[in-house]
Amino acid sequence: MFRTTIATLALASFAIPAAAEGERIEVTGEMIDTWCYFSGVMGGPDAVVGTAHHTCAMWCAAGGIPVGLLTDDGTVYMVMKWEGSAEIADGTALLDVQSHRVTAEGIVYERDGIKYLMVAKVLEDAGITNVNHEDFGVVPGFAIPDPNK
Amino acid sequence: MKVMIAAVATTVLASLMIAPALAEADFSEGSKAKLWNVFGVEKARFEAKVTDTVCALTGDCPVDCGAGLRQMALIRVADDALLVVSKNTQAAFTGASVDLAPYCGQSVTVDGLLVGDPEITPGLGAKVYQVQSVTVAGAKPAKANRWTRDWARKNPDAKGKGPWFRRDPRIIGRIEAQGYFGLGPEVDAAYIEDNF
Repeated sequence: MFRTTIATLALASFAIPAAAEGERIEVTGEMIDTWCYFSGVMGGPDAVVGTAHHTCAMWCAAGGIPVGLLTDDGTVYMVMKWEGSAEIADGTALLDVQSHRVTAEGIVYERDGIKYLMVAKVLEDAGITNVNHEDFGVVPGFAIPDPNK
Repeated sequence: MKVMIAAVATTVLASLMIAPALAEADFSEGSKAKLWNVFGVEKARFEAKVTDTVCALTGDCPVDCGAGLRQMALIRVADDALLVVSKNTQAAFTGASVDLAPYCGQSVTVDGLLVGDPEITPGLGAKVYQVQSVTVAGAKPAKANRWTRDWARKNPDAKGKGPWFRRDPRIIGRIEAQGYFGLGPEVDAAYIEDNF
């Protein structure tokens, strides 16, 4: 019995990667598309958030690009669970909160320079508060089709 | 004198300890990745284990890595680093989970780009990865470009002209209701009136 238990534990330790230590947090910030934000492919970081970038942020979430939560101090949490579910890579669960300012509670893990957030519960959704299209227009410019074409 | 040496040693040690995670080794050797015009871009080809991110962090590991529904990650063999895989090789707003999930649990060689610059986006503590190809030992490299075909297979009623993001019913419905800026159709109308 003892040997069987030891063998089972040994097998389990090979099958499951070592889990990192998580910390419960409450965090507030804007839900963003992380690829456009980090890569600059559509412009500087101030232009790829908010209303200016809202349609692109929905496209990227629907396309499976990781969504992040950007806090006021510039920290970006990569969202890996939403309301307890890890099945978020088709973006559907996140489309209605893209560009929104939310307060969420969950577990944060940090590994190799990246903060990962497992959102357990959204405590507050303030909607879209970063109205920046008056400064940047629509980003990218083709997000709104030209009605004259 | 001893105090000064100790102070210098402490400073050097501290600077090494807080060195940003972005100061990574060079993984460009042998890479055939196409460069994109993005922040901090570096070619990177390396061996890695394919996993999903939640598995790597928490030990909750479905055998199929979520079959494309979990965000995927790579654990680089050379330094055991966990990498966020943000993009596949397609330009059309597409991530990498659909491309990597079929390799769940396997050791592969990936080729692509490390992307990001903390001087521009301070929230970035390590570069993210764009995967352009995946190679299993003994096989030819497979391009990481499955996403749009997978979307078309799942959305047979969304056939038509134009790219997928103009035809995705999830996007169309939300833009109709909330507008391109997310503030309602009236805000869109005013912007279009002034700018087109």
